[in-house]
Amino acid sequence: MGTRALVATFGFDERRVLPALRLLAYDELVLLAGRDSVKAPGFERLRALEPGLRAVPVDPFDLRACLDAATATLRDLRRRGHPARVSVSGGTKILAAAALLAAFQEGAEAWYCDPEPVRLPVLHGVRIVDGLSDTARDVADFLRAPTTMDRLVARVAHCGFDGRATRAAVRELVGHGLAELGLDGGKPVVRPTRILSTYRKHFPRPGKA
Amino acid sequence: MYHSDHAKSREARAKVIEFTRGLGVHATAVELDDAFNLLEIAERMRADVRRERSAGATVRFNIAGGTRLMSSAALLACILEGIPATYVHDDTYEEIPLPLLRIAYGERLTPKQREVLGFLVKNREKSFTETALAKALGVHKATMNHHVRELGMRGAIERVRDPDDGRALLIRAAPGMELLLG
Repeated sequence: MGTRALVATFGFDERRVLPALRLLAYDELVLLAGRDSVKAPGFERLRALEPGLRAVPVDPFDLRACLDAATATLRDLRRRGHPARVSVSGGTKILAAAALLAAFQEGAEAWYCDPEPVRLPVLHGVRIVDGLSDTARDVADFLRAPTTMDRLVARVAHCGFDGRATRAAVRELVGHGLAELGLDGGKPVVRPTRILSTYRKHFPRPGKA
Repeated sequence: MYHSDHAKSREARAKVIEFTRGLGVHATAVELDDAFNLLEIAERMRADVRRERSAGATVRFNIAGGTRLMSSAALLACILEGIPATYVHDDTYEEIPLPLLRIAYGERLTPKQREVLGFLVKNREKSFTETALAKALGVHKATMNHHVRELGMRGAIERVRDPDDGRALLIRAAPGMELLLG
């Protein structure tokens, strides 16, 4: 078995993190922590206990930044072959929500240890993005502004997808609320939704997990 | 609107209801028996969402309020049901849509794995060794061993020592697996 990593959210009080450290076995510890948190005495006390811990500084009140950092951390650990668990007992509620969403996105086990351990029910390795086909991910990548279906089919054809596959992918995106279909001058038009704009950067391109 | 039985939470509920009344918007408040029981809250929220949807309502969730566990339960319900979720920032009031899609976890298991897990969930109060499980579901021991290993790798089951026989391992569904199969 490879090195096991524990990713924990951290605020100022190390006591919120210690139960997870005691209950969840790990070889590598990564703390997602506010920039001020890593200068706090609580962090120093944790470092005294775990000299090898790595801190990833974030703005704990910026949900997008926290989500990006948590997702990048989990992807990096997976790339290095280290299965990761996430503990969201410490830090701000925004940081905890972002870390939890990142765990769902990346198929990582998520825990609350406050102090009793509660594991959130997810299946290891099942990522949110797996719900989308490769074609849908490619189409989503192209779909950055309203475009006619014909133009979209022509653009995606460079990736080797025929018109039928592209239309099926568009229907898939519509089903997930990531795109909308309409008519403009009698021609079918595909529009990206706001959710797609938010979501696009969070799904790795096919084959680049 | 979900809230705990804490006095402050009830006070806030009254204010929100008064505010929405002023806007002419109907609000329903749900007081949670235990605002710290994540799985129970997620189950409740999911049932409510399904009921609203079957009545034709469009549902979206703001997960910013409540306890940390309530927010997490809401996030889980959103992922299981594919509901758009937003986080409205406390200070800036910015509405941040969360990038999530529905995950049909049950569909990521093979039919046989689903059957094994469903059986364990339905019989939570009983204990099964791998052999007993194979017998109960009418499959060969080696086949059951394969399914159990796969489910174990997914984190869907737990193996615990049999208190009556130190050499035997008992298998049970991991907490909350009902939610993934439901």
